[in-house]
Amino acid sequence: MRKGMSHSARSAMFAPLDQIGRAEAVTSRLVDAITLGLLADSEQLPSEAELAAQFGVSTVTVREALVALRQQGLVETRRGRGGGSFVKTPANPSAASWRERLRTVSLSELRDVGDHYLAIAGAAAKLAAERSSPEDIERLELATEDIRTATGAEASRAERQFHLEVAAAAQSPRLTREEVQLQSERGGLLWLPLEPHGTRENAYAEHRAIAAAIAQGDGELARKLTEEHILEAIDRLADVHLDLLAP
Amino acid sequence: MNDTPSAGSEVVEQVSALVEDVFGRLKPVLAGAEGLLAASADATAEDLTRLRPQVFEVLGGLVVGAGFISAPNTLADQEFGFEWWTETGDAEPAQLVISLDPDSENFLDYTRQSWFTVPRDTGRRHINGPYVDYLCTDEYTLTFTVPVQRDGAFAGVVGADIYVREVERLLAPKLRALGGRAALVNAQGRVIVSNNARQATGSLVREVDVPAWWSAGAEPVTTESGAHLRRCGDSPIALVRSER
Repeated sequence: MRKGMSHSARSAMFAPLDQIGRAEAVTSRLVDAITLGLLADSEQLPSEAELAAQFGVSTVTVREALVALRQQGLVETRRGRGGGSFVKTPANPSAASWRERLRTVSLSELRDVGDHYLAIAGAAAKLAAERSSPEDIERLELATEDIRTATGAEASRAERQFHLEVAAAAQSPRLTREEVQLQSERGGLLWLPLEPHGTRENAYAEHRAIAAAIAQGDGELARKLTEEHILEAIDRLADVHLDLLAP
Repeated sequence: MNDTPSAGSEVVEQVSALVEDVFGRLKPVLAGAEGLLAASADATAEDLTRLRPQVFEVLGGLVVGAGFISAPNTLADQEFGFEWWTETGDAEPAQLVISLDPDSENFLDYTRQSWFTVPRDTGRRHINGPYVDYLCTDEYTLTFTVPVQRDGAFAGVVGADIYVREVERLLAPKLRALGGRAALVNAQGRVIVSNNARQATGSLVREVDVPAWWSAGAEPVTTESGAHLRRCGDSPIALVRSER
Protein backbone atom coordinates (compact mmCIF):
# COMPACT_ATOMS: atom_id res chain seq x y z
CA MET A 1 0.00 0.00 0.00
CA ARG A 2 1.36 3.38 -0.90
CA LYS A 3 1.93 5.80 1.90
CA GLY A 4 0.75 9.34 1.55
CA MET A 5 -0.62 12.32 3.30
CA SER A 6 -4.23 13.35 2.83
CA HIS A 7 -5.62 13.32 -0.69
CA SER A 8 -5.50 17.10 -0.91
CA ALA A 9 -1.84 17.27 0.08
CA ARG A 10 -1.04 14.83 -2.70
CA SER A 11 -3.02 16.85 -5.21
CA ALA A 12 -1.27 20.02 -4.07
CA MET A 13 2.06 18.35 -4.76
CA PHE A 14 1.17 17.80 -8.43
CA ALA A 15 -0.85 20.94 -9.06
CA PRO A 16 0.15 23.03 -12.07
CA LEU A 17 3.08 25.38 -11.51
CA ASP A 18 2.66 29.10 -11.81
CA GLN A 19 5.48 29.79 -14.19
CA ILE A 20 6.06 27.72 -17.26
CA GLY A 21 9.50 26.44 -18.20
CA ARG A 22 11.23 26.53 -14.83
CA ALA A 23 13.10 23.32 -14.26
CA GLU A 24 14.00 24.52 -10.75
CA ALA A 25 10.35 24.70 -9.74
CA VAL A 26 9.71 21.16 -10.98
CA THR A 27 12.82 19.96 -9.18
CA SER A 28 11.69 21.62 -5.95
CA ARG A 29 8.27 20.02 -6.08
CA LEU A 30 9.69 16.57 -6.65
CA VAL A 31 12.41 16.97 -4.03
CA ASP A 32 9.73 17.96 -1.52
CA ALA A 33 7.52 15.06 -2.51
CA ILE A 34 10.36 12.59 -2.10
CA THR A 35 11.83 13.94 1.11
CA LEU A 36 8.40 14.42 2.74
CA GLY A 37 7.56 10.81 1.92
CA LEU A 38 4.64 11.66 -0.35
CA LEU A 39 6.36 9.50 -2.94
CA ALA A 40 7.53 6.20 -1.52
CA ASP A 41 10.91 4.55 -1.99
CA SER A 42 11.10 2.65 -5.32
CA GLU A 43 7.84 4.21 -6.45
CA GLN A 44 7.81 4.91 -10.16
CA LEU A 45 7.31 8.53 -11.14
CA PRO A 46 4.70 9.36 -13.77
CA SER A 47 6.16 9.46 -17.30
CA GLU A 48 7.87 12.61 -18.54
CA ALA A 49 4.84 13.39 -20.66
CA GLU A 50 2.47 12.96 -17.71
CA LEU A 51 4.61 15.10 -15.42
CA ALA A 52 4.82 17.79 -18.07
CA ALA A 53 1.05 17.80 -18.45
CA GLN A 54 0.39 17.90 -14.70
CA PHE A 55 2.88 20.66 -13.97
CA GLY A 56 1.96 22.61 -17.08
CA VAL A 57 5.54 22.72 -18.43
CA SER A 58 7.38 21.29 -21.43
CA THR A 59 8.89 17.79 -21.43
CA VAL A 60 12.30 19.41 -21.94
CA THR A 61 11.83 21.18 -18.61
CA VAL A 62 10.81 17.93 -16.95
CA ARG A 63 13.88 16.21 -18.33
CA GLU A 64 16.13 18.97 -16.92
CA ALA A 65 14.49 18.53 -13.54
CA LEU A 66 15.03 14.76 -13.63
CA VAL A 67 18.72 15.30 -14.35
CA ALA A 68 18.96 17.47 -11.25
CA LEU A 69 17.15 14.86 -9.18
CA ARG A 70 19.47 12.10 -10.43
CA GLN A 71 22.46 14.24 -9.47
CA GLN A 72 21.05 14.61 -5.98
CA GLY A 73 20.63 10.85 -5.80
CA LEU A 74 16.87 11.10 -5.29
CA VAL A 75 15.86 9.37 -8.48
CA GLU A 76 17.30 6.56 -10.56
CA THR A 77 16.45 5.79 -14.16
CA ARG A 78 16.04 2.31 -15.54
CA ARG A 79 15.90 1.71 -19.25
CA GLY A 80 14.03 -0.79 -21.34
CA ARG A 81 10.64 -2.34 -20.73
CA GLY A 82 9.36 -1.53 -17.26
CA GLY A 83 11.84 1.33 -17.30
CA GLY A 84 11.29 4.84 -16.09
CA SER A 85 12.31 7.01 -13.15
CA PHE A 86 12.17 5.51 -9.70
CA VAL A 87 12.32 7.25 -6.34
CA LYS A 88 15.27 6.69 -4.06
CA THR A 89 14.23 7.96 -0.65
CA PRO A 90 17.31 9.29 1.13
CA ALA A 91 18.18 7.43 4.32
CA ASN A 92 18.41 10.66 6.25
CA PRO A 93 16.03 12.96 4.44
CA SER A 94 16.18 15.75 6.97
CA ALA A 95 19.78 16.81 6.84
CA ALA A 96 21.17 16.65 3.30
CA SER A 97 18.33 17.47 0.92
CA TRP A 98 16.77 20.11 3.14
CA ARG A 99 20.01 21.99 3.21
CA GLU A 100 20.07 21.83 -0.56
CA ARG A 101 16.48 23.14 -0.64
CA LEU A 102 17.34 25.96 1.74
CA ARG A 103 20.38 26.87 -0.26
CA THR A 104 18.51 27.22 -3.54
CA VAL A 105 15.40 29.04 -2.30
CA SER A 106 15.69 32.79 -2.47
CA LEU A 107 15.37 35.08 0.51
CA SER A 108 12.50 36.90 -1.14
CA GLU A 109 10.65 33.63 -1.72
CA LEU A 110 11.21 32.72 1.92
CA ARG A 111 9.78 36.04 3.03
CA ASP A 112 6.78 35.57 0.74
CA VAL A 113 6.07 32.10 2.08
CA GLY A 114 6.33 33.55 5.57
CA ASP A 115 3.81 36.27 4.73
CA HIS A 116 1.36 33.74 3.34
CA TYR A 117 1.81 31.31 6.22
CA LEU A 118 1.49 34.08 8.76
CA ALA A 119 -1.77 35.29 7.25
CA ILE A 120 -3.29 31.81 7.35
CA ALA A 121 -1.96 30.61 10.69
CA GLY A 122 -2.59 33.92 12.44
CA ALA A 123 -6.21 34.07 11.28
CA ALA A 124 -6.69 30.43 12.22
CA ALA A 125 -5.36 31.05 15.73
CA LYS A 126 -7.77 33.94 16.27
CA LEU A 127 -10.75 31.90 15.08
CA ALA A 128 -9.64 28.93 17.15
CA ALA A 129 -9.66 31.15 20.23
CA GLU A 130 -13.23 32.16 19.45
CA ARG A 131 -14.57 28.75 18.46
CA SER A 132 -12.67 26.07 20.36
CA SER A 133 -14.46 23.65 22.60
CA PRO A 134 -12.73 21.95 25.56
CA GLU A 135 -12.11 18.88 23.38
CA ASP A 136 -10.31 20.97 20.75
CA ILE A 137 -8.15 22.54 23.44
CA GLU A 138 -7.26 19.15 24.85
CA ARG A 139 -6.01 18.03 21.42
CA LEU A 140 -3.97 21.23 21.12
CA GLU A 141 -2.39 20.61 24.50
CA LEU A 142 -1.50 17.06 23.49
CA ALA A 143 0.09 18.40 20.31
CA THR A 144 2.03 20.91 22.40
CA GLU A 145 3.41 18.18 24.64
CA ASP A 146 4.56 16.27 21.56
CA ILE A 147 6.67 19.26 20.58
CA ARG A 148 8.48 19.15 23.88
CA THR A 149 9.59 15.55 23.57
CA ALA A 150 10.25 15.27 19.84
CA THR A 151 13.52 15.58 17.98
CA GLY A 152 14.52 15.51 14.33
CA ALA A 153 11.84 14.52 11.83
CA GLU A 154 9.38 13.90 14.66
CA ALA A 155 9.78 17.48 15.80
CA SER A 156 9.00 18.68 12.32
CA ARG A 157 5.85 16.56 12.28
CA ALA A 158 4.81 17.71 15.75
CA GLU A 159 5.07 21.34 14.67
CA ARG A 160 2.99 20.70 11.57
CA GLN A 161 0.40 18.75 13.59
CA PHE A 162 0.02 21.62 16.06
CA HIS A 163 -0.74 24.18 13.37
CA LEU A 164 -3.07 21.75 11.63
CA GLU A 165 -4.99 21.26 14.88
CA VAL A 166 -5.28 25.03 15.30
CA ALA A 167 -6.75 25.38 11.81
CA ALA A 168 -9.20 22.55 12.49
CA ALA A 169 -10.15 24.08 15.86
CA ALA A 170 -10.93 27.27 13.96
CA GLN A 171 -13.73 25.23 12.31
CA SER A 172 -12.49 26.27 8.88
CA PRO A 173 -12.07 23.70 6.11
CA ARG A 174 -10.54 26.37 3.86
CA LEU A 175 -7.91 27.47 6.34
CA THR A 176 -7.14 23.84 7.11
CA ARG A 177 -6.65 23.07 3.43
CA GLU A 178 -4.42 26.15 3.06
CA GLU A 179 -2.41 24.98 6.06
CA VAL A 180 -2.00 21.49 4.53
CA GLN A 181 -1.00 22.96 1.18
CA LEU A 182 1.54 25.34 2.71
CA GLN A 183 2.99 22.58 4.84
CA SER A 184 3.46 20.31 1.87
CA GLU A 185 5.34 22.84 -0.19
CA ARG A 186 7.70 25.59 0.88
CA GLY A 187 5.95 26.03 4.20
CA GLY A 188 7.41 22.71 5.25
CA LEU A 189 10.73 24.54 5.42
CA LEU A 190 9.53 26.56 8.39
CA TRP A 191 9.54 23.56 10.64
CA LEU A 192 12.85 22.09 9.63
CA PRO A 193 14.63 20.37 12.49
CA LEU A 194 17.56 22.74 12.34
CA GLU A 195 18.00 23.13 16.04
CA PRO A 196 20.72 23.74 18.22
CA HIS A 197 19.19 22.38 21.38
CA GLY A 198 18.02 25.67 22.76
CA THR A 199 15.46 26.16 20.05
CA ARG A 200 13.49 23.08 21.11
CA GLU A 201 12.68 24.61 24.48
CA ASN A 202 11.76 27.89 22.83
CA ALA A 203 9.44 26.17 20.38
CA TYR A 204 7.69 24.40 23.26
CA ALA A 205 7.27 27.64 25.23
CA GLU A 206 5.91 29.44 22.18
CA HIS A 207 3.38 26.73 21.49
CA ARG A 208 2.29 26.58 25.12
CA ALA A 209 1.65 30.32 25.01
CA ILE A 210 -0.38 30.05 21.81
CA ALA A 211 -2.42 27.15 23.17
CA ALA A 212 -3.03 29.07 26.41
CA ALA A 213 -4.25 32.14 24.54
CA ILE A 214 -6.62 29.94 22.55
CA ALA A 215 -7.86 28.23 25.72
CA GLN A 216 -8.50 31.64 27.28
CA GLY A 217 -10.46 32.73 24.22
CA ASP A 218 -8.07 35.63 23.60
CA GLY A 219 -8.12 35.81 19.80
CA GLU A 220 -5.91 38.83 19.37
CA LEU A 221 -3.23 37.42 21.63
CA ALA A 222 -3.37 34.03 19.90
CA ARG A 223 -2.92 35.69 16.54
CA LYS A 224 -0.08 37.93 17.73
CA LEU A 225 1.82 35.05 19.30
CA THR A 226 1.36 32.91 16.20
CA GLU A 227 2.66 35.66 13.95
CA GLU A 228 5.70 36.16 16.14
CA HIS A 229 6.30 32.41 16.18
CA ILE A 230 6.31 32.27 12.40
CA LEU A 231 8.43 35.40 11.97
CA GLU A 232 11.03 33.85 14.23
CA ALA A 233 10.98 30.63 12.21
CA ILE A 234 11.52 32.63 9.01
CA ASP A 235 14.39 34.59 10.58
CA ARG A 236 16.08 31.36 11.64
CA LEU A 237 15.69 29.94 8.16
CA ALA A 238 17.02 33.13 6.59
CA ASP A 239 20.13 32.89 8.77
CA VAL A 240 20.79 29.31 7.76
CA HIS A 241 20.16 30.15 4.11
CA LEU A 242 22.70 32.96 4.20
CA ASP A 243 25.22 30.73 5.97
CA LEU A 244 24.80 28.11 3.28
CA LEU A 245 25.50 30.70 0.61
CA ALA A 246 28.63 32.03 2.28
CA PRO A 247 31.80 31.16 0.33
CA MET B 1 -42.46 31.76 17.34
CA ASN B 2 -44.65 28.73 17.33
CA ASP B 3 -44.50 27.74 20.95
CA THR B 4 -46.33 24.47 20.98
CA PRO B 5 -44.27 21.45 22.03
CA SER B 6 -45.11 19.68 18.83
CA ALA B 7 -43.70 22.46 16.66
CA GLY B 8 -40.19 21.16 16.98
CA SER B 9 -41.26 17.53 16.72
CA GLU B 10 -40.99 17.25 12.97
CA VAL B 11 -37.38 18.40 13.06
CA VAL B 12 -36.56 16.14 15.97
CA GLU B 13 -38.08 13.18 14.16
CA GLN B 14 -36.35 13.98 10.90
CA VAL B 15 -32.98 14.15 12.63
CA SER B 16 -33.63 10.96 14.53
CA ALA B 17 -34.63 9.16 11.33
CA LEU B 18 -31.49 10.37 9.55
CA VAL B 19 -29.30 9.18 12.40
CA GLU B 20 -30.93 5.76 12.64
CA ASP B 21 -30.69 5.32 8.89
CA VAL B 22 -26.93 5.87 8.88
CA PHE B 23 -26.28 3.65 11.89
CA GLY B 24 -28.57 1.04 10.37
CA ARG B 25 -26.45 0.98 7.23
CA LEU B 26 -23.37 0.30 9.31
CA LYS B 27 -24.78 -2.84 10.90
CA PRO B 28 -23.59 -5.28 8.18
CA VAL B 29 -20.08 -3.78 8.28
CA LEU B 30 -20.04 -4.14 12.05
CA ALA B 31 -21.13 -7.76 11.79
CA GLY B 32 -18.53 -8.39 9.09
CA ALA B 33 -15.71 -6.80 11.07
CA GLU B 34 -16.55 -8.60 14.30
CA GLY B 35 -16.94 -11.89 12.45
CA LEU B 36 -13.61 -11.46 10.72
CA LEU B 37 -11.76 -10.64 13.93
CA ALA B 38 -13.46 -13.39 15.89
CA ALA B 39 -12.57 -16.00 13.28
CA SER B 40 -8.85 -15.31 13.35
CA ALA B 41 -6.49 -13.99 15.98
CA ASP B 42 -4.04 -13.28 13.16
CA ALA B 43 -6.24 -11.14 10.95
CA THR B 44 -4.14 -9.07 8.57
CA ALA B 45 -4.65 -5.90 6.54
CA GLU B 46 -5.31 -8.12 3.56
CA ASP B 47 -8.18 -9.80 5.42
CA LEU B 48 -9.86 -6.44 5.88
CA THR B 49 -10.42 -6.28 2.13
CA ARG B 50 -13.17 -8.86 2.63
CA LEU B 51 -15.25 -6.09 4.19
CA ARG B 52 -15.36 -4.16 0.95
CA PRO B 53 -18.75 -5.36 -0.33
CA GLN B 54 -20.44 -4.31 2.91
CA VAL B 55 -18.55 -1.00 2.98
CA PHE B 56 -19.57 -0.19 -0.58
CA GLU B 57 -23.21 -0.76 0.39
CA VAL B 58 -22.99 2.01 2.99
CA LEU B 59 -21.81 4.59 0.47
CA GLY B 60 -24.30 6.67 -1.42
CA GLY B 61 -27.00 9.22 -0.65
CA LEU B 62 -25.72 11.28 2.23
CA VAL B 63 -22.80 8.97 3.04
CA VAL B 64 -19.59 10.03 1.31
CA GLY B 65 -17.13 7.81 3.13
CA ALA B 66 -17.28 4.57 5.11
CA GLY B 67 -15.19 1.74 6.44
CA PHE B 68 -13.45 0.01 9.32
CA ILE B 69 -10.54 1.39 11.33
CA SER B 70 -8.75 -0.90 13.75
CA ALA B 71 -7.41 -0.18 17.20
CA PRO B 72 -3.60 -0.30 17.51
CA ASN B 73 -2.18 -3.81 17.41
CA THR B 74 -5.43 -5.45 16.44
CA LEU B 75 -4.01 -6.67 13.15
CA ALA B 76 -1.23 -9.21 13.08
CA ASP B 77 0.88 -7.58 10.38
CA GLN B 78 0.71 -3.87 11.09
CA GLU B 79 0.14 -1.58 14.04
CA PHE B 80 -2.69 0.40 12.48
CA GLY B 81 -5.45 -0.76 10.11
CA PHE B 82 -7.47 1.47 7.85
CA GLU B 83 -10.00 0.11 5.37
CA TRP B 84 -11.86 3.22 4.27
CA TRP B 85 -13.55 4.11 0.99
CA THR B 86 -15.04 7.31 -0.39
CA GLU B 87 -17.67 8.21 -2.98
CA THR B 88 -16.09 9.88 -5.93
CA GLY B 89 -19.06 10.65 -8.12
CA ASP B 90 -17.66 8.19 -10.66
CA ALA B 91 -18.83 4.62 -10.75
CA GLU B 92 -16.03 3.31 -8.51
CA PRO B 93 -15.40 4.31 -4.91
CA ALA B 94 -11.85 5.39 -4.12
CA GLN B 95 -9.79 3.97 -1.31
CA LEU B 96 -8.44 6.40 1.23
CA VAL B 97 -4.74 5.84 1.77
CA ILE B 98 -3.05 7.60 4.66
CA SER B 99 0.34 7.24 6.21
CA LEU B 100 0.10 4.38 8.71
CA ASP B 101 3.81 4.38 9.47
CA PRO B 102 4.40 5.99 12.90
CA ASP B 103 7.94 6.86 11.85
CA SER B 104 6.84 8.70 8.75
CA GLU B 105 6.90 12.47 8.75
CA ASN B 106 3.33 12.44 7.49
CA PHE B 107 1.88 10.10 10.08
CA LEU B 108 -1.18 11.62 11.72
CA ASP B 109 -2.39 9.82 14.82
CA TYR B 110 -6.03 8.97 14.32
CA THR B 111 -6.25 7.48 17.82
CA ARG B 112 -6.62 11.01 19.18
CA GLN B 113 -9.74 11.83 17.22
CA SER B 114 -13.05 11.82 19.06
CA TRP B 115 -14.71 9.57 16.49
CA PHE B 116 -12.23 6.92 17.70
CA THR B 117 -11.84 7.71 21.40
CA VAL B 118 -15.48 8.14 22.37
CA PRO B 119 -16.61 4.67 21.18
CA ARG B 120 -13.42 3.28 22.71
CA ASP B 121 -14.00 4.92 26.09
CA THR B 122 -17.79 4.63 26.35
CA GLY B 123 -18.46 1.44 24.39
CA ARG B 124 -21.24 3.33 22.61
CA ARG B 125 -21.88 4.64 19.14
CA HIS B 126 -21.02 8.30 18.53
CA ILE B 127 -21.51 11.14 16.08
CA ASN B 128 -18.49 13.41 15.90
CA GLY B 129 -18.85 16.88 14.53
CA PRO B 130 -19.32 19.22 13.00
CA TYR B 131 -15.54 19.24 12.57
CA VAL B 132 -12.88 19.70 9.94
CA ASP B 133 -11.91 16.18 8.98
CA TYR B 134 -8.34 16.75 7.83
CA LEU B 135 -7.51 13.06 7.84
CA CYS B 136 -10.07 12.20 5.22
CA THR B 137 -12.66 14.45 3.65
CA ASP B 138 -10.94 17.83 4.21
CA GLU B 139 -14.48 19.11 4.56
CA TYR B 140 -16.77 20.08 7.40
CA THR B 141 -18.05 16.66 8.36
CA LEU B 142 -20.18 14.56 10.67
CA THR B 143 -18.61 11.18 11.39
CA PHE B 144 -20.76 8.34 12.70
CA THR B 145 -18.83 5.56 14.45
CA VAL B 146 -19.71 2.33 16.24
CA PRO B 147 -17.26 0.36 18.42
CA VAL B 148 -16.10 -3.05 17.21
CA GLN B 149 -15.41 -5.75 19.78
CA ARG B 150 -13.15 -8.78 19.81
CA ASP B 151 -13.24 -11.06 22.85
CA GLY B 152 -15.01 -8.35 24.80
CA ALA B 153 -12.27 -5.78 24.10
CA PHE B 154 -12.29 -2.71 21.90
CA ALA B 155 -10.85 -3.54 18.49
CA GLY B 156 -11.67 -0.45 16.44
CA VAL B 157 -14.63 1.29 14.86
CA VAL B 158 -16.82 1.07 11.79
CA GLY B 159 -17.91 4.44 10.53
CA ALA B 160 -19.55 6.69 7.97
CA ASP B 161 -18.91 10.30 6.95
CA ILE B 162 -21.53 12.86 5.95
CA TYR B 163 -20.89 16.41 4.79
CA VAL B 164 -22.39 19.07 7.06
CA ARG B 165 -23.57 21.00 4.03
CA GLU B 166 -25.68 18.03 2.91
CA VAL B 167 -27.27 17.74 6.34
CA GLU B 168 -27.98 21.46 6.16
CA ARG B 169 -29.67 21.07 2.80
CA LEU B 170 -31.89 18.33 4.18
CA LEU B 171 -32.86 19.91 7.48
CA ALA B 172 -32.94 23.62 6.66
CA PRO B 173 -36.50 23.75 5.27
CA LYS B 174 -38.15 22.35 8.40
CA LEU B 175 -35.91 24.48 10.63
CA ARG B 176 -36.89 27.63 8.79
CA ALA B 177 -40.54 26.73 9.15
CA LEU B 178 -40.18 26.77 12.92
CA GLY B 179 -39.67 30.50 13.11
CA GLY B 180 -37.78 32.18 15.92
CA ARG B 181 -34.25 30.98 16.40
CA ALA B 182 -33.70 27.28 16.00
CA ALA B 183 -30.44 25.38 15.89
CA LEU B 184 -29.36 21.76 15.92
CA VAL B 185 -26.34 21.45 18.16
CA ASN B 186 -23.98 18.71 19.30
CA ALA B 187 -23.15 17.81 22.90
CA GLN B 188 -20.63 20.63 23.10
CA GLY B 189 -23.21 23.17 21.98
CA ARG B 190 -21.66 23.54 18.55
CA VAL B 191 -24.15 24.42 15.81
CA ILE B 192 -24.56 21.84 13.06
CA VAL B 193 -27.29 23.71 11.23
CA SER B 194 -29.59 26.58 12.16
CA ASN B 195 -32.20 28.88 10.69
CA ASN B 196 -30.39 32.13 11.47
CA ALA B 197 -27.09 33.81 10.72
CA ARG B 198 -26.38 34.60 14.33
CA GLN B 199 -26.08 30.90 15.19
CA ALA B 200 -23.79 30.09 12.27
CA THR B 201 -22.70 26.52 11.61
CA GLY B 202 -19.60 25.82 13.65
CA SER B 203 -20.21 28.49 16.27
CA LEU B 204 -20.78 27.61 19.92
CA VAL B 205 -24.15 28.36 21.49
CA ARG B 206 -23.24 30.30 24.64
CA GLU B 207 -26.64 31.54 25.82
CA VAL B 208 -27.41 28.06 27.13
CA ASP B 209 -24.97 25.71 28.90
CA VAL B 210 -25.49 22.82 26.51
CA PRO B 211 -22.67 20.58 27.87
CA ALA B 212 -24.12 20.85 31.37
CA TRP B 213 -27.56 19.95 30.06
CA TRP B 214 -26.14 16.87 28.29
CA SER B 215 -24.26 15.70 31.37
CA ALA B 216 -27.40 16.09 33.44
CA GLY B 217 -29.29 13.67 31.22
CA ALA B 218 -30.54 15.76 28.30
CA GLU B 219 -34.20 15.76 29.34
CA PRO B 220 -36.46 18.21 27.48
CA VAL B 221 -36.29 21.55 29.27
CA THR B 222 -37.20 25.21 28.99
CA THR B 223 -34.56 27.48 30.51
CA GLU B 224 -35.11 30.65 32.53
CA SER B 225 -34.35 32.69 29.48
CA GLY B 226 -37.04 30.89 27.51
CA ALA B 227 -34.88 28.59 25.42
CA HIS B 228 -36.29 25.13 24.68
CA LEU B 229 -33.88 22.18 24.48
CA ARG B 230 -34.83 18.78 23.17
CA ARG B 231 -32.68 15.80 22.31
CA CYS B 232 -33.27 14.22 18.91
CA GLY B 233 -34.06 10.60 19.56
CA ASP B 234 -31.12 8.51 20.65
CA SER B 235 -28.48 10.80 19.17
CA PRO B 236 -25.96 13.34 20.51
CA ILE B 237 -27.82 16.06 18.61
CA ALA B 238 -30.26 18.47 20.22
CA LEU B 239 -32.72 21.11 19.02
CA VAL B 240 -32.36 24.51 20.70
CA ARG B 241 -35.12 27.03 20.12
CA SER B 242 -35.59 30.59 21.36
CA GLU B 243 -37.26 33.88 20.49
CA ARG B 244 -35.52 36.25 18.07
